[in-house]
Amino acid sequence: MLIINRNGGIVSGIVRYEGAPFVARFGWYAGELMEKFVKSLAEKKLLATRCPKCGYTIVPPRIRCVKCYTKLGEENLVELSGKGKLLSYTVVHTIPDGKGGFTDLDKPVLLGAIKLDEADSTIFAVLGEVEPEKLVEGLEVQVVWREETKGELADIAYFKPVG
Amino acid sequence: MGLRVAIVGYGQTRFEWDAEKTREEMVFEAARKALEDAGIDREDVCTVISASTDFLDGRTISNCMLIGATGAYLKDESKAEEDGMLAALYALERLLSGTHEIALVTAHTVSWTFNPHQVSVYMLDPLFDRQNRYLYDISIAAIQAKLYMNRYDVSEEQIGMVSVKNFRNAAMNPFAYMKLPDITLDEILNSKVYAEPIRELTMAPVCDGACSVVLATEEKVREITDNPVWIEGVGNCADVYIRDRDLSRLNSLQVAARKAYKMAGVTDPYREIDVVELTERFAHQELMAYEALGLCREGKAKNLIEAGLTEIYGDIPVNPSGGAMAGDAICATGLLRLIEAAKQIRGEAGRYQIDGAEKAVAHAQWGLAAQKNVVFVLGGEV
Repeated sequence: MLIINRNGGIVSGIVRYEGAPFVARFGWYAGELMEKFVKSLAEKKLLATRCPKCGYTIVPPRIRCVKCYTKLGEENLVELSGKGKLLSYTVVHTIPDGKGGFTDLDKPVLLGAIKLDEADSTIFAVLGEVEPEKLVEGLEVQVVWREETKGELADIAYFKPVG
Repeated sequence: MGLRVAIVGYGQTRFEWDAEKTREEMVFEAARKALEDAGIDREDVCTVISASTDFLDGRTISNCMLIGATGAYLKDESKAEEDGMLAALYALERLLSGTHEIALVTAHTVSWTFNPHQVSVYMLDPLFDRQNRYLYDISIAAIQAKLYMNRYDVSEEQIGMVSVKNFRNAAMNPFAYMKLPDITLDEILNSKVYAEPIRELTMAPVCDGACSVVLATEEKVREITDNPVWIEGVGNCADVYIRDRDLSRLNSLQVAARKAYKMAGVTDPYREIDVVELTERFAHQELMAYEALGLCREGKAKNLIEAGLTEIYGDIPVNPSGGAMAGDAICATGLLRLIEAAKQIRGEAGRYQIDGAEKAVAHAQWGLAAQKNVVFVLGGEV
């Protein structure tokens, strides 16, 4: 049972906290298909679910089609090429600091809304190896993996323009 | 609607930053003003609905301490964990059910308890999107703004004009937090960038405040007031999560507006509506809302703002009070739009009164990139 923690860490079971003072440490059961998605990142694979009934393909995978509610399982997992098109983007200069204020980033970060080629849903990811002036709607992008992939969300380093 | 419901009283606190009031004081002030405005007592109220969020209040069951402040003790009471306009809708439904006759609706937010933009992170899917530290309400709104700008060739200047209009309007509003009577487009476009193209002055400034309305069914309305503001139509619609949504359009607002117009018998909003009060959490969303509300064709909102048609002196004034730009006390912001729309119909809007306003639209939004939208159509005595 894969649990993804508030801070991005991953543990394989529920960690219970007892006694006072109470600390809210959020964790969420990822679900079977999401677990496969996360673990497959180690092999540099991006998995999605494709609905056998309506064809809607969603990434990360879900166990129900968001359009027609068809039950989806392992047999509906498809591997994506990791390529896609940029739908929209922003240059992020400031983010919440986690304590109620804001932090100005030392270097602005490019954040894209990407439609992966074989998928229908949008994913939001950091863009790299590109200057903001080069970003246009429809730009072809591809996933860049971090050097050593471990089966964690951080294995997806960023997306960069194709070629 | 067979049974008719009207707004018979309203009240609000001055919207401000770092309000030195407890939340209960704030809500009490707004609720008491609304009851005084209606000329009724706590004893007359049958049901009380409040709106607040546990995250922003920093405690669970954020209405538990409001029972005293709203006079709801030993009464029918409930809460909407969203915008106050949802609480008004909830109250309206209770009145239309026939089991209650007078409802008190309150909404409040104290933004300094916890930065609302930080709280927006908790609206993200925790398994994937929340792990991306650059994704939050402002950067998502920025992605939405870029999509909209690209689709319809809208410029940053045209978006900035919304801020100029609303900040200037707010200067005439005695309860507004952000009053910038002399603001220029240049200043808007040179304000601090959070996520391009969203700047400090193209997003609604979060602040503290509370507001309250009294709703009553027709029989009671006749006893209470000669100047009721009738709820002629209402529509509520939620869209899917950002991942599966076309962010370039406010589809759920369009559906909500159509429902409300149908109920109110409005067929040509541009001509039939006298004034609109909408929740533009970000300036570009006001332009998107013009289109979704049917005030113009898709992609033509920029022409409305450029031609000044939505100014107080224009054909279809939008946010004469300053809208959310006048101060965004999150849960109170949408309910305040309902109050401002009612004020216009009662002819009580002072310096930003639209002459002869008879039919008004009020809008509230909730969620990332305006996921959920509510529309009320209000009308005066006919």
